[in-house]
Amino acid sequence: MAGQIKVLLSKLGLDVHNRGVITVAKELRDAGMEVIYIGNSLPKEIIRTAIQEGVDVIGVSSLGGAHLTLGGELIEEAKKEKLEESMAFVIGGVFSTPDAEKLREIGFDGTFVPGATREEIVSSIRKIVSGKTGRIL
Amino acid sequence: MAEENKTTKEILQAKLAGRRQTPLYDRETLEKLRQGFQKWKNSVVRQEDQQNWHATPHTLLGSEIPREMLYTPLSNPDFDYMEDLGHSGQEPFTRGVHANMYRGKEFTMRQLTGFGGPEETNQRIKFMLAHGGTGANVLFDLPTIQMYDSDDPLSKGQVGMSGVAIDSVEDMDLVFKDIPLDQITVSLVTHYPSNTAILFPMYLALAERRGIPWDKLRGSVQNDITLEEVVRSGPEYIPPADCFRIQCDNIEFIRQNVPLWNFVTYNGYNLREFGTSGVTEMAVAVANAISTIEEMLRRGHDVDWIAERLAFFWSPASDFFEEVARLRAVRRLWYKIMKYRFDAKSQRSMWMRCHVQTSGVSLMREEPLNNVIRAAYEALAAVFGGVQSLHVDSYDEAYSVPTEEAALLSLRTQQIIQAETGITDVVDPLGGSFYVEALTNEIETRILDEVDEIEKVGGYVTAIDKGWIHKKIADYFYNERSMVEKGQIKLVGYNIYKSPIGLPPIHVFQYPEGVEERQKARLARLREKRDNEKVSSALTALEDACKRGANVVPHTLQCARVGCSEGEMFKVFKKAFGPWKPPVFW
Repeated sequence: MAGQIKVLLSKLGLDVHNRGVITVAKELRDAGMEVIYIGNSLPKEIIRTAIQEGVDVIGVSSLGGAHLTLGGELIEEAKKEKLEESMAFVIGGVFSTPDAEKLREIGFDGTFVPGATREEIVSSIRKIVSGKTGRIL
Repeated sequence: MAEENKTTKEILQAKLAGRRQTPLYDRETLEKLRQGFQKWKNSVVRQEDQQNWHATPHTLLGSEIPREMLYTPLSNPDFDYMEDLGHSGQEPFTRGVHANMYRGKEFTMRQLTGFGGPEETNQRIKFMLAHGGTGANVLFDLPTIQMYDSDDPLSKGQVGMSGVAIDSVEDMDLVFKDIPLDQITVSLVTHYPSNTAILFPMYLALAERRGIPWDKLRGSVQNDITLEEVVRSGPEYIPPADCFRIQCDNIEFIRQNVPLWNFVTYNGYNLREFGTSGVTEMAVAVANAISTIEEMLRRGHDVDWIAERLAFFWSPASDFFEEVARLRAVRRLWYKIMKYRFDAKSQRSMWMRCHVQTSGVSLMREEPLNNVIRAAYEALAAVFGGVQSLHVDSYDEAYSVPTEEAALLSLRTQQIIQAETGITDVVDPLGGSFYVEALTNEIETRILDEVDEIEKVGGYVTAIDKGWIHKKIADYFYNERSMVEKGQIKLVGYNIYKSPIGLPPIHVFQYPEGVEERQKARLARLREKRDNEKVSSALTALEDACKRGANVVPHTLQCARVGCSEGEMFKVFKKAFGPWKPPVFW
């Protein structure tokens, strides 16, 4: 479908909390995006699936403290595959404001902490994807 | 027996019909009250209030139960003191399981502790005990909870995060260094049946090593299938029927060998925090408890032998009176189930004993100091509800695990309720309130109705396998999120009364560094120095027990003694039972 955004969502590593990510999965789908949710995975596997599925956005969720380690690894893996220019990377979960800044510095296009609304998440993903790909959405 | 086909609700209805013997209000009085009430309503109450006589509070994790504007004897016309309340420590235990409640024993102040390596957690436990904490409550890191070793590729970056890392009995030893195991009560937050079967034997092996007999150990584990199969996102699962069997294996082994230990804590808390009403939280835990007792009876055990040590764990959320009423309601319902559904003889079997923790979901990131107030009200509701043990969440937990300062403030919150407010001098102080009693009745009915739904699906394990409970939760939290976004559920500082100026940030906990390397090194030393022949024969014996249906715990215990790691034992479970994929609804 022309203009439809395709999103891959995953829990990072062993984090047990999935209420947030499945809420986002539903909200993105309700907003007209195509969503694939793969549960708990490691960065390599996430990147592999993202390439196979040809997604526009990778969204990961981390509430257990591994956002910088595994988040960093995800961006590194993406760079190895030269995806950083064509794919959007967003992360949601529990982390401090300085950590959210660090995540953006290492290459995440969007960070969402508790309190992020449906509207904020949907519209920033649209904006990021159209900014990165030049597609009109 | 015809009873076998009846649901718990049907059995209770049949056995409790026509039992009301000491009604408080006679018909004549009620009739007079009714006339006066009608007159008052028509002449004093505004038209608008008459029309909106029932209003439904919209609160975080609430049950959406409509409330009257004013409660009177007419709200509960059949009120029967002895039948509905009784005195404290007396059937049906609505007012509390002990006659003197907090005059006899104050609630246990059991703050969660766990971060970094065993060494750091040991320090924090000692800090809390030195400040008047009366029990240790140990939380594990994600790899330990999910049963992967610190050196597993899946554990990278998560060792010692949000809990303490435990790989083997060596780590258990360090967590409890210089802490006399026979003198404190210890809650090991082993959420799942599988990790209970692995971690608790490490604690037992440690006691053996220190020469402390198991009958001196006091404390609890969680051991709840709901957490392993429903309230969890993880890479690998074993099927619900096998998980339930391990839950029952743990119960059987601990009951036989560690007599003062609470072998199961039906954990409504994490389920509710995941996203359900307080009613569903309790219905699910009660349904699980019913299924467990049925299985233990099937294994040939006596009902009282099991039921005397069952415990529950609840989450008190924002709706103050609902929380007070809920605790009273489930205490009465549990009594009825034990007495009339299972014919328990011991009074203790009929006690719904519980630990509560204030709601983590209700903690806001915005203006975090407001969370001190939220947690204090929730703690107060729990004390009014007559709980045995309490944990108060810290204000900074929407950011990270609490700092030492924040953790101390949580303990102080409890100590202020206990020592300064005078609340604990009187048992069940809200008992008899027209409002609280009517709400208690309503909630009890709703919990039993949901237990009935679960039993009609085919019992608790089937309800998990079919995704009934997963669906129920998903429906609830999508709806709740939308109510928050629409401002129907009001959250101060977030969607109402937002601060026009940015408030200064709080000091947030920083994890200690180097824990992962330290754990990996210790694990490498262990693998080198242990007797690897003993290790592999212990693991083979465990696999054999899994397959032939013998109790697994004597075998995980042997594994713990000879130095098997947690991940090695979990691998055996996965191999023996095979994988399962839980349903996800979105």
